[in-house]
This record gives sequence, C-alpha cells and structure tokens, in this order.
Amino acid sequence: MKKLISLLLLFTFGLSSCEKDDICDANTPTTPRLVITFYDIANPTKTKNVSNLKVIGDGMEQGIVFNESLAVDDPLRYVTSGSSVMIPLKINDNTTTFKFIYNSLSETPTTINTDVIKFNYTTQNVYVSRACGFKTIFQLTNVAPFVHTDPDGDTFWMTEVDLENPNIELENETHIKVYF
Amino acid sequence: MKHTLKFIFSLSLLFSMFLGFAQDVPEISKNKDTIVAKKPQTEKTVKTVKPEIQEAPKDSVVKTDRYGLRVGVDLYKLTRGLYDKDYKGIEFVGDWRLTKKYYIAAELGYEDKTTEDDRLTSSANGTYIKAGFDYNFYQNWLDMENLITIGMRGGFSTFSQELINYKIYNSNPYWGELPPINEGQKYSGLMATWIEVAMGLKAQVFRNVFVGFGVQLKLLATNKEPNNFENLYIPGFNRTYDGSFGIGFNYTVSYFIPIYKKKTMASETAKKEEPKKK
Repeated sequence: MKKLISLLLLFTFGLSSCEKDDICDANTPTTPRLVITFYDIANPTKTKNVSNLKVIGDGMEQGIVFNESLAVDDPLRYVTSGSSVMIPLKINDNTTTFKFIYNSLSETPTTINTDVIKFNYTTQNVYVSRACGFKTIFQLTNVAPFVHTDPDGDTFWMTEVDLENPNIELENETHIKVYF
Repeated sequence: MKHTLKFIFSLSLLFSMFLGFAQDVPEISKNKDTIVAKKPQTEKTVKTVKPEIQEAPKDSVVKTDRYGLRVGVDLYKLTRGLYDKDYKGIEFVGDWRLTKKYYIAAELGYEDKTTEDDRLTSSANGTYIKAGFDYNFYQNWLDMENLITIGMRGGFSTFSQELINYKIYNSNPYWGELPPINEGQKYSGLMATWIEVAMGLKAQVFRNVFVGFGVQLKLLATNKEPNNFENLYIPGFNRTYDGSFGIGFNYTVSYFIPIYKKKTMASETAKKEEPKKK
C-alpha cells in the first residue's frame, strides 16, 4: 500500500515535467509569397531567365534577398537571374508596391530599366497550428489586381503582365506571369 | 516527444501492474454472486441487523461492509488556482457503492485555463461531467475500507474558447515583424466527449474521511472545433495537443455517508486469500 502511494506520487511529479516544446515545422505552409514567373514573349510557352533583377519594396532601402548565403554587403545577394521570383506582400496592408529593376548591376545606366507594379489585394488570417500560430493568405482584387507603371519614362521591360491565379495561398504555383 | 514517450511507457507499465492484480476474477465473480443473491433482502437485513451482530462474535468471521455515498472535492484543482494565475478550477467527486467491489463514480467540474504559447494566447472555460464505475481490487483487512481502483468513465464537456492574441507566422519578414494581433474572438458552444481509464486509491484517514489520489488516461471521442481555430484545452480533458491521449489527475478529500450495511462471510474469502497476499 505504502509502496503504491509513493509510486503514484512519483508518477504525478513525472507528469508535470513533460512539457513539449513545440516549434513550427519549416515545411508547414505558412504565409505565402507572391510568385512571378517570367516567360519569353517570342515563345510564350517557354520560361526565360531575367538578368540581375533586383526587387525593392516601395519605401525600402534594401532589395529582397534572393541569395541568402551571400554576405549582407554583396550586391549579388539582392539580385536574381532565374526565371521566377517570390516576393513577400505586406500583411497589414491591402496594397504593396515593388520596383523591378532589370540589369540592376549594369555599369551603363541606359541598360538599367525599372518597372513598378502595385498589387491590390485582400488578406485573410488562417489558423495553422499551436506552434505556428496563424498565417495570412492573400487574394488579388477582381478590379485592378495590379497596376503596372514605368517611373523612369523609358519603355516597359515587361511587355505583358498576366494574372494567372489571384488566390495567393501556396508558393508552389505561379500567381503572375510576366512576358518580356 | 521523448518525454511523452517515456511517460506513456511508464504509464503502460503501471497499467500492466494493475492488470496483474485484476486477474483474480473467479473470486470476484463468486463474491458478486453472493451479493446479488442477497440483494433483495437488503432492507430486511438492515432491520434485522441487531440479532445478526449478536451472532457474529461467535463465528468471529462475519464481515460488515458499509454501503453508501462518498462525496468529495479535488484539492489539486482547488489549490492550483492559488499559485497558477492562469488557472481556476474545481472538481467534485462522488461514488456510490453498488456491490462489494463495484462503485458507480462521477465527477463534476469547472475549469478556466489560459494557455500562453509563443505564437498565440487562448483561454478555455467550461463545465464537464464524467460518469462511470470503479472496481476495487484491494483486499481489505477485516474492518478496513481502503480502495485501490481501476475504472472507466465517459466524459462530456461544454465550453467556450477565447483567442486572446496571436502572431502571424511569416518566414519572410521583409516588411518587418508584426506585433501580436489582439483578437479577443470568442468561440462558444463548443463540445467534446471522451472516454477515460481511471486509476485511483483512497485511504480512510479518519472515520468516514478518505484521502484519495487518481490518475486518468483519456482518449478523445468527439470534438466540436471552432471555425478557423482549434480546441487547445478542453475542461476536464486537459490539453489536446501532445499526442492523442489526455492526462488528468486529482487529489481528493472525501466524506463517506454510510447508508446501509451488509454482511459477508469473511471466513472463506479471508482464508483463501491469506496465503496469496501479504
């Protein structure tokens, strides 16, 4: 009897010490970024690589980091030469504006071309889990989901911008198609 | 996770130990039969208690079992509110002795628990009721009334949850990390049911006063979840994460109200069991 009591008491103290430390799994889909894929205007079914594209959010100093492994002061950290970019939208706003600077590392200023796109959307906060909390998903608005402008007055480097999928919920699909 | 596993192992070990005890089924059923046979006479026996007691000393083997209602309160839940500002709770326990070994048992409680996590803070509050039976497999010495029980319960809770604040998980904080969003959203009308295996012991410390300790392993059966959130804590069930089992325990003080007495011939059972048990 006494043995049993002490065993059970021990057991209870054991209970209080099993606190699980939950960490949000990196593979869990959380707040998605907007995915833009670039296509060749001459051959619209084929993707095309951009050249040293830099994307800067309106009012921000630094561009979006595309090469996480490079040093903070390395200009290559902020440019991409791939065929698609993923850009984070503002969670606490309904519009986000980005400058897309083509050939941003070029020595001759005339080859640098900047286009601006303003995205209009609505947000929704969705419960993920106790460890991850909530995520925000976006829906580009029906009317004017994006506004494409050319601030520096030269020609648009993006010949055509198409809406592919207005529901930004996952990062494994293209939301905007750009032809150039 | 490691802790959880270790804990489940120790729990099943504990269980297996109890199972070992629970094997003396033939004797139990025998006792039960005699009790059932006597049952209709209950009221008569109460009336004729006195003459039988006079006979008892001659034999010195007649054992009197007291039957009645035991009511109590869980001190663990009650005192936890004193040192844990995020918790308020109370649980009343009761059991009614049905046969020599079986008790109908029930718990009624209220809990209000705030859970603070890294990414969200929520609170749950509501009432619950659990009902089932306990089986006492402890063989008492003649006049003792201690219990070591294993039992089953069905649990039902109706509660509400409040999402107090939360953070948006954003692995790309280009626009900066946002402060937690104060939501204050209340989800009411939630419901959950579960079954549990309850182990417990109760020792009589003074006449009719029992101190008891119990551990429950719970398995969720139904759970009505709120829209765009989750039931992180269910009153009576405990937290819902950490694997599929819920855990609970209580530390009770209860008072036994004797209603009637019943006699059993202790001679046979005692003699049979003495060589078996210390």
